[in-house]
Amino acid sequence: MELKTAITIDENKSVARVSLAGALNTDTAPGFDQELQKVVAQGLDLTVLDMKELDYISSAGLRVIFKAAKQTKAAGRRLAAANRKPHIDKVFEILKALPDMAVFANDQELDDYLDSMQSKVRDD
Amino acid sequence: MSNSISTRLIAFLSLSLALIFGLGLLVDYHLSRDEILARLQTESQETIRSAIIDLENWLDGVEGSTLFLARILEQRDYSHAGLEQMLKDIVENNEDIYGATIALNPDIADSPQGFAPYYYHREGILTYSDLAADDYRYNQQPWFRDAVSAAKPIWVEPYFDRGGGEILMTTFAVPVFRIDKNSQRSLYAVVTADVALDELQNYLRRLRLGESGFGTLLSREGIIISGRNPQNQLRHYSEALLDELDISTWQDMFRTVLAGQATTRRLECPEVSGKCILRLDALQSTGWPIGVMYSEREITAPLREYQIKTAVTGLVTLLLMSLAVYLVTRRLTRPLTALALASDNIAKGNLDTPLPSVRGNDELARLVNSFGAMKRDLKSYIADLETATASRSRLAGELAAAREIQMSLLPLGGEAFVQLPDYQLWARVRPAKSVGGDLYTYLQSGSRLFIAVGDVSDKGVPAALFMAKAISLLQQFIAAGDSPEYATAKLNNALELGNDNCMFVTLFLGVLDLASGQLAFASAGHTPPSLLRDGAITILSQEDGPAIGLSPDLRFPLNTYQLQAGDRLAIYTDGIDEAFNAQAQMFGVQRFNEELAGTSSMPLDGAGEQLFQRVDDFAGATAQSDDITLLLLQLPLQGSGATAATQSQKVQRVFTAGTPLAGRVIEWLEQALIEWEVAMEPQMEVVLIAEEIVTNIEKYSEIPENSEVIVQLDRIGSSLTMEFSDQGKAFNPLHEGHRSTLGADIESAEIGGLGVHLVVKLSDEQHYLHDGKRNILRIVKSLDAKGD
Repeated sequence: MELKTAITIDENKSVARVSLAGALNTDTAPGFDQELQKVVAQGLDLTVLDMKELDYISSAGLRVIFKAAKQTKAAGRRLAAANRKPHIDKVFEILKALPDMAVFANDQELDDYLDSMQSKVRDD
Repeated sequence: MSNSISTRLIAFLSLSLALIFGLGLLVDYHLSRDEILARLQTESQETIRSAIIDLENWLDGVEGSTLFLARILEQRDYSHAGLEQMLKDIVENNEDIYGATIALNPDIADSPQGFAPYYYHREGILTYSDLAADDYRYNQQPWFRDAVSAAKPIWVEPYFDRGGGEILMTTFAVPVFRIDKNSQRSLYAVVTADVALDELQNYLRRLRLGESGFGTLLSREGIIISGRNPQNQLRHYSEALLDELDISTWQDMFRTVLAGQATTRRLECPEVSGKCILRLDALQSTGWPIGVMYSEREITAPLREYQIKTAVTGLVTLLLMSLAVYLVTRRLTRPLTALALASDNIAKGNLDTPLPSVRGNDELARLVNSFGAMKRDLKSYIADLETATASRSRLAGELAAAREIQMSLLPLGGEAFVQLPDYQLWARVRPAKSVGGDLYTYLQSGSRLFIAVGDVSDKGVPAALFMAKAISLLQQFIAAGDSPEYATAKLNNALELGNDNCMFVTLFLGVLDLASGQLAFASAGHTPPSLLRDGAITILSQEDGPAIGLSPDLRFPLNTYQLQAGDRLAIYTDGIDEAFNAQAQMFGVQRFNEELAGTSSMPLDGAGEQLFQRVDDFAGATAQSDDITLLLLQLPLQGSGATAATQSQKVQRVFTAGTPLAGRVIEWLEQALIEWEVAMEPQMEVVLIAEEIVTNIEKYSEIPENSEVIVQLDRIGSSLTMEFSDQGKAFNPLHEGHRSTLGADIESAEIGGLGVHLVVKLSDEQHYLHDGKRNILRIVKSLDAKGD
């Protein structure tokens, strides 16, 4: 299976949205790692991995995500996973990957989170 | 006591000594008796002879004096006074002569009365008497007359000299003749000398021998001059004797003596009882028989005295000897008696009984010492025996406990009977000794029933220990859900480790799918099971592997057999078919199968009991030589409802190593799962598992270029078994994989490590085995969509 990614960046909000579709497996993980590293390197406050279309993820793919999560956390920014399908969520559960990541069950949660981030910035 | 050695010894020794000593005394007595008798004989003869000689001398003296006087008177004439003086001198100077006379021939005498002066010792005083006086008429007296007529000297028969000496006497008379000028010979006188018989008695008293012996003197006519009884004096001997027999004896002897021959006779004693010796001889001068008679008894009195002395000496000696024997024997046997008492005590178990003390090194001392040694040995032996018995009973107790523990290792304690709708199972283990090496086990896991029967080599404690190890591991592997051939291979590797004693196990391990009746089994050198179906026996054909435990990394073929409703399967150890009877015949597989066929109509437990009984009956008194185990499995006649044919699918693909291996495997896998219409979620999980495993193999197994990686899918019902095998280095990802600590630092997490977590969490069973060439990883996963 192939992996298709789409990246949209909202510089005003300092949010990058990376949409994944297909399979993030041993074969596709190295390519995705490169793309994700580019996004993370832009230094946006939040990078959201949209997994609405992701059907499959293996440990190789997860490692790529964990690596990025680690990097963003070290820089004081966030990496979030949103819209995980149940069996993808199960993999996350098994590997206890959640503590380092913001998790959004769907887009609404993500939007709410982004709004609160905005108001917070303005209050500052 | 009469049976004691001392009594017998005393009796025997005393008797022997008495016999020997008595014999000696007897011989000595006989020799001494003859000697004593001879001596007594000689003594008596000597006594007689000396008495006779004295008597002869005495008479010779009287004769000599008288003859001398007569010789003088022949030559010369004397006056009357001269004659009287001469006569007086002779009588006065000769004590032996009682009285004497010179009686002149009256024819030539001066007076008609003649001349005969007589001097004699009257009561010790020399007295004169004139025999010519009165009316004595001496020329008429026998002494005068007989002498003149004999014309030679004679001894006159004894007489009482009345008017003369007035005593009993005998007289020696010598006639004196003169020759005149005309050569005419004429009687001149008769000269006599009288001898008092009392005087003779004095001599004869000396002949007295013994208490009742006596001497006797007879005249030639047989008149008793002196004898035993004074009353018989001057009587003829025949008058003195009462017994006719004696008279004839005396006459006989008398004659012999007068003929000049001495004689000795043995006859009855006149006064005392017993025999007497009578010896008769004659005086040379007078010719008078002189005799001596004495009692044999009295004369042999010294001999009897000697006999008594000997007897008394003998008796006293014998008593002393008996005493000595008694003392010696007692001294010898006292320790024996004490030893007998001590041994009685020891026999009663009182081993501390002291033994009698002995000194020296004689037989008795050695006996007592040997006894002491025996006592000590016995004591230590008993102590050893007690120790041995105690340790033996302790060992027996330990073995009994060990048996209980071993039986508790087996399901239902070594004797199982399970009745369930889907199956019935009966099993029993009977060790040949307290503990054994046979085992059985079973375990139902879902619709799968595992059954196993095993037999450890050897028997007894070593086999039991090995069996304990084997059954623990086996039950562990079964519980983990390992398939038969796989569990067998794992058991082999586990048991082979450190198995320096080269113990081994034959094993039947099968798993029955209760739904389908499909039996999958592996055999490690075990006897193939027998199947009873419709009254007929089939021996399950099997491809078996070697016995377990001898070398590592063995593979065991998997056999399958389709069981049907009503089938009865018997799995057993060689203790049954190799049971021996007294004729050294084996029970054998054929006999077992025949017996099994005979149980077709019996309930399962009855069948099991009967098969055991048949083996026992066959063996008879022969001891069970090996452990016996029998497991019977019975399927119900009617299917229990789960008889619907279960889908069973199997695919396998060989991949050549080289990237992108994971992609190729996943592609093939997805295809297969889609074909099998596996639901989306389990399908994705199976793929994820496969990707993680293959990634792991690629990263860590260092698989050679172009080597094979085999993936096999085996689906039975809703259960999927995936097997991955590769030719890389031995690597068990389940244990050796670098599993990251979940939730920790992401950077430190290994990719493979995360994968193993996923595999374990997403599958139901994971088994790893290295068979010497290949890493084999088996994953079992339920394909049911659970929705979680």
